Amino acid sequence: MQWWCSASGKPWTWAPQYYPGVWLMVAVLAVAFHALSRRGRAMGESRGAFWGGWVAVGLVWQVLDWPIGPLAAGYLASAHALQFVVLALVAPPLLLLATRRPLAASVAALGRARAVAMLVTQPIIAGVLFNVVAIATHVPAVVDALMPTQVGAFTIDVLWLLGGLVLWWPIMVEAPRRSWFSAPVRMLYLFLATLVHTGIAMVMLVRDFPMYGIYELAPPWPAWSPLEDQHLAGGVMELAGAAVVFGIITVMFFRWSGGVEGDAAPPAPPRD
Amino acid sequence: MLPTRFLAPCLAAVLLAACAAPVPRHGVPIEPALPRPSFTLTDTRGVPFEFSRETRGLLTFLFFGYTNCPDVCPVHVANVAAVLRKLPFEDQRKARFVFVTADPARDSLPQLRKWLDQFDTSFIGLRGDEVEVTRVMSAVGMPPAIRGAVGPDGRYEVGHSAAVLVFTADDSAHVLYPFGTRQLDWAEDIPRLLRIRPQTED
Repeated sequence: MQWWCSASGKPWTWAPQYYPGVWLMVAVLAVAFHALSRRGRAMGESRGAFWGGWVAVGLVWQVLDWPIGPLAAGYLASAHALQFVVLALVAPPLLLLATRRPLAASVAALGRARAVAMLVTQPIIAGVLFNVVAIATHVPAVVDALMPTQVGAFTIDVLWLLGGLVLWWPIMVEAPRRSWFSAPVRMLYLFLATLVHTGIAMVMLVRDFPMYGIYELAPPWPAWSPLEDQHLAGGVMELAGAAVVFGIITVMFFRWSGGVEGDAAPPAPPRD
Repeated sequence: MLPTRFLAPCLAAVLLAACAAPVPRHGVPIEPALPRPSFTLTDTRGVPFEFSRETRGLLTFLFFGYTNCPDVCPVHVANVAAVLRKLPFEDQRKARFVFVTADPARDSLPQLRKWLDQFDTSFIGLRGDEVEVTRVMSAVGMPPAIRGAVGPDGRYEVGHSAAVLVFTADDSAHVLYPFGTRQLDWAEDIPRLLRIRPQTED
């Protein structure tokens, strides 16, 4: 039995497969979220944010487990792109929104590790880290080398989730609070920090040949060719990614123009 | 300034390189080159197909596989088809893809045609009895196909060479392409293979 989805090279079958590693990771995520979100509710976090966080846990589970997990690992670049959108762009803001108050309090209470937390969540550093992860995990040689192994596929999935949490932290948690990181700057940050993934999606859309050997040489998927699949993957990254990013930028804009900036910000985070 | 005694050999080397036959960048070289074999099998119209006569002077991809193959055959054939479709029309006319079934017991001529048509309607499908096909495989240095164990559902797999042999206009195969050859590899090599000409033309 495999503990994590990886490219097997075997023809696709609709017989369900079981991945204990996925269940374990989702269980750890769910327990951590449960503990933090309970504290968040006690600190005044909204019911909507709480349920949004549970939706994020459910989405993470769905894209990592059968059937999307194994499809993404060894058959369809489009499923892999869907994983990226969910793990890096959809789940992290939902998870952070429901837990931002306890997370902010945790950062304030950190000892020596606070300096590291401040550095990693510094918007420029966070943006660069996310883009390094996005680029490195889409380089064809890296994908082709990592996806056939369970450890490699696990590494990519975890990096996307962690990269997403780092990207969204400065916007969602705002701790430590930075006076220069106003709402317009946050909108600009989100736009600029997600430009690279848009570029990756464009490359996938315009290439004439499949980029990833793992999907090109996989047992055939009856509905579409590897190149069509790659174009679909580019479309998923481009459109779904843009919908998430511009949707949140739009919400931020209207909150800012309506004068509600900072209303829901975590209480008394320390300044850097 | 370079001394003239160095310039002359350099110039000669450049000229030689320009005149030399283009070398494919991918695949496995065949040395010495394999001459285009002569054999006759039945094509999907039910007509005898003389391989040597019908493909002489053309860039010819020869592949042994079977239509129930779950992985290697459809991927290999689809990759060649995808690249051939992108070639200029004149180059496409100079190329033939010949698929010989390694599983004549299950691959009827209509089944063969239907399977090939999903990749390219111009691809040629050939069928013979097991002895004939094994003889052809042997003539091109391929191991014979081996039928695997029959499963409870009556299905079985066929073990066969997963390499595509490519015969060029000089009626020789200089290279074979194993499974794992990417579309980009084919796209780089096919124009080079098309430029290989019979030596009498040089």
